Amino acid sequence: MTVATIRYIDAINSALAGEMKRDDSVIVLGEDVTLGGPFGATKGLSEEFGDDRVINTPIAEGTVMGLAAGAAMLGARPILEVMFIDFITLAMDQLVNHAAKLHYMTGGQAVVPLTIRALCGAGGGFGAHHSQSLEAWFLHVPGLKVVAPSNPADAAGLLRSAVRDNNPVLFLEHRGLYWRKAEVTEDAIPVPLGMASVARQGGDLTIVAVSKMVEVALAAADDLSDSGIEAEVIDLRSIVPLDREAILASVRRTGRLVVVHEAVTFGGIGAEIAAMAQEHAFAHLVAPVQRVGAPFAPVPASVELEKIFVPGPDDVIAAARRTMTAEGVR
Amino acid sequence: MPPAMPPQLWPMRSDLTRERLLTLLERMWLIRAFEEKASELYARGVIGGLLHLGIGQEGVAAGSCVQLRRDDAVFGSHRAHAHAIAKGVDVDKLMAELAGRATGYCGGKGGSMHISAMETGFITATGVVGGNIPLALGGALAARRAGTDRVSVVFFGDGTAQSGSFHESLNIAALWGLPVVLICENNGYAEFTPLSAHTNVARLAQHADTYGIPNVTVDGSDVVAVYDAVAAAVARARAGDGPSFVEALTHRLRGHYEGDPAKYRELSELEDWKQKDPLARYVGYLEQSGVISEDGAESPAAERAARQRVNGAAERALAAPFPDPSAVATQVYAG
Amino acid sequence: MLPDLRPDLLVEYLRRMLVIRRFEEGLIKLAEGRDIGHFHVYIGQESTGVPALALLEDGDLTFTTHRNHGHLLARGVDPAAMYAEILGKATGTNGGKGGTLHLASAEHGFPTTSAVTGGCIPLATGAAFGFSRLGRDRVSVCLMGDGALEEGAWHESANIAAMESLPIIFLCENNSLEALGQKANEYPSSTMAASPLTELAAVFGMESVAIDGADSGVVHDTMAAAVVKARSGDGPIFIEARTVRWPGNRPLWPQLLTGETDLTMAWDESAIPEEHGRWHRAEDGLLAYIRGLLAAGYVDERTVTDIDAGVREKMSAGVQFALDSPYPDPEAALSGVFG
Repeated sequence: MTVATIRYIDAINSALAGEMKRDDSVIVLGEDVTLGGPFGATKGLSEEFGDDRVINTPIAEGTVMGLAAGAAMLGARPILEVMFIDFITLAMDQLVNHAAKLHYMTGGQAVVPLTIRALCGAGGGFGAHHSQSLEAWFLHVPGLKVVAPSNPADAAGLLRSAVRDNNPVLFLEHRGLYWRKAEVTEDAIPVPLGMASVARQGGDLTIVAVSKMVEVALAAADDLSDSGIEAEVIDLRSIVPLDREAILASVRRTGRLVVVHEAVTFGGIGAEIAAMAQEHAFAHLVAPVQRVGAPFAPVPASVELEKIFVPGPDDVIAAARRTMTAEGVR
Repeated sequence: MPPAMPPQLWPMRSDLTRERLLTLLERMWLIRAFEEKASELYARGVIGGLLHLGIGQEGVAAGSCVQLRRDDAVFGSHRAHAHAIAKGVDVDKLMAELAGRATGYCGGKGGSMHISAMETGFITATGVVGGNIPLALGGALAARRAGTDRVSVVFFGDGTAQSGSFHESLNIAALWGLPVVLICENNGYAEFTPLSAHTNVARLAQHADTYGIPNVTVDGSDVVAVYDAVAAAVARARAGDGPSFVEALTHRLRGHYEGDPAKYRELSELEDWKQKDPLARYVGYLEQSGVISEDGAESPAAERAARQRVNGAAERALAAPFPDPSAVATQVYAG
Repeated sequence: MLPDLRPDLLVEYLRRMLVIRRFEEGLIKLAEGRDIGHFHVYIGQESTGVPALALLEDGDLTFTTHRNHGHLLARGVDPAAMYAEILGKATGTNGGKGGTLHLASAEHGFPTTSAVTGGCIPLATGAAFGFSRLGRDRVSVCLMGDGALEEGAWHESANIAAMESLPIIFLCENNSLEALGQKANEYPSSTMAASPLTELAAVFGMESVAIDGADSGVVHDTMAAAVVKARSGDGPIFIEARTVRWPGNRPLWPQLLTGETDLTMAWDESAIPEEHGRWHRAEDGLLAYIRGLLAAGYVDERTVTDIDAGVREKMSAGVQFALDSPYPDPEAALSGVFG
């Protein structure tokens, strides 16, 4: 198998092509996908697989989501691109009320093998409608799976798993990760959904991070290491199914937990993880769980404000230190 | 502007065989009997939730679906029992589903508005207005991709024509030439409001004109007219000639849902339409055409058989167990 | 043709068109080598926006899209404050929080810009609904592109506007005439089965018309009638204003493919280069407008270049203002979440 150092976006492109080669029922839909999309994720697919399988849609997010779900129910395996996750709001009925619930409502008769790739995250000052992180909304919808790879290899591996999964899977791509390069093995075994990975081992505290915040957490961990604090960084990779055991096993060892995500802290996925930790590892915790996320506000357009808005290593370091010096530490 | 459809593509007289004519009669009686029984069970509290009945709309369901193949896909709205029955679902499993029993098509998890009987090609109903049209488009796309000539047929009401998904769907169906038949049951009311208060558009098929989709408006309580219109549309879709739009003018004889006394309608309006009851009209048509004799035995026999079938289904549903509590969180994900 | 207006007003329209042209050219240059995020320019559509929006009064509301700079400038929003907003400075129209995609100026009748295709259509319809119910003789103008017609929101709003006879003007700027079937790497536009686009409004019984957006006279006449109609409670109108897409708007990010507009091309044939010759000669509404003014004798070449010089100076000052302005304080990120 060939190993190459490629960008996250190329890993996605190559995984898409690979799945389309492997399974004739896989089709790609979305706005401008025949032209490669706004960042090139679908580049070349139209030339290789034809208009029959790479389909440009009008700007009609709601209907296109439903169309993809309907095609999935009846034999196709669609991969839908949502240009910016902010626009998924227009497709909420079809995604939440229909795609996610059809299998359950029909008593198991309907199967919806649909993958939805959505571009997320802030950067570059794109403003409030092009920068959100909305995974907390979808963690809350039984019937949906949600994944968020942090690096090129996982992007390829998780995408393959998502496409092969027989459920609607929301595949979250942070656009700020698109240009990151790393080694990717072509045709590697797909990364299973629901399995976190330990990005860095450590015994003093656990930092759970997702998507672009994984590199932030690793940077913070390096800094903490200079002070003799060794942090374990867990890359969630999947949000639903959540790898509870991986998180709890680490927390039971370290006794300290910091959760970091780019999404707004209030009501974010960190809240669910914190609740889970205190519920199942209370006896092991020596400090309150810390959450790091964005402030409770829409994403500001000004790049200087945006820099403050998006969590950085310093925020994670501060949170980590709070767990080392919390009052009432046992 | 697309050219007007030449009239010969919408034949007004069909070549229905006697057998098919009688099947239509039986199926319409089965729908009528089922809906009346469901109404009774609802009043008794056996069926819960919201129940939307199609009494008076049997012509559209039967005329459209009886002619379809098993592998053609039908998508219903919230008012979908008639279409499911017309497509050939097992009435026992349908009744059990409405009654929330484990033996229902969806194990009690779907209920009236989410009926699914995929083995018969009745894919799903939906409680969200306009929610089923995109799904039907997707079904059509998948069927074509798989190299088949299966057709998707989707039913929705006049209230749906004002929704965004309707517009987006017509556009995409036309652009991509999808093998879908869009059937709008215009019963003049969207929930509790007359259509005229929802839109200026008098004839909803005009929307199909906008996108160049061949269309026709028919009397929905003339089951043969519906049959003919849909037959032409299905033929076009099967031949790869793209979507069609059939607007069937009809009337709800009951309220929007059971419990809705429909005070908002003029009594005279109702009386007029009772005379247009599709079932009664069809029997008259069969008599006039000599298919059955006047005061012949066929219609009463069909009614008896239907009521017997439905009563049996009701009894079996009531005797069936409710789902096990452990079923509440199963089948959230497919394997 | 020119609008049937006093010469001094026509010359003022020229000034406004030049403001837009030079603002956008200045922005593209400003973006070179700087990360200012994605933005969209109105070059090639000035002949629509200026005469149309000049007819609005105080209290009339305009809702717009991602291609909004020309609209705001046409209604008199300060270019310096706009540059500042695009650069994310505290002195911007939105305090740096909105950026190009959400420019707003309540004072000038711009409640918001939506970056979601079709996002403003329901808002504009709602504003018209408010005017109607509250008995105000104001007009709501929904500025939209051809792509927005693909969205369900268009259909729902148009139906309601027609039913309720709302005082709304849907001004749809179709700049995609040449965009269909474009090659790869060029930014595409709409995919729409309805043809002509005016049918999408006419089906609801709404008055619906298609005009040449590069002809300021026709734009003026059509809009003037629309405003009268709306204000007198006679209901909505859909106007499709067609323009040829400026070549620099074909790539994903705007590029000065036709250079900084050399106004002498309006009177000196030899100044027109081979490349994009057709654009300069026949498709750029700004140059056509200047040619019209010259032909009518309302200006001479000197006047045009003088006005242009003044405008360019103002735009440069605006750019400098924006560059010199401070970024917002960090606390500003959290303020204004709630009223």
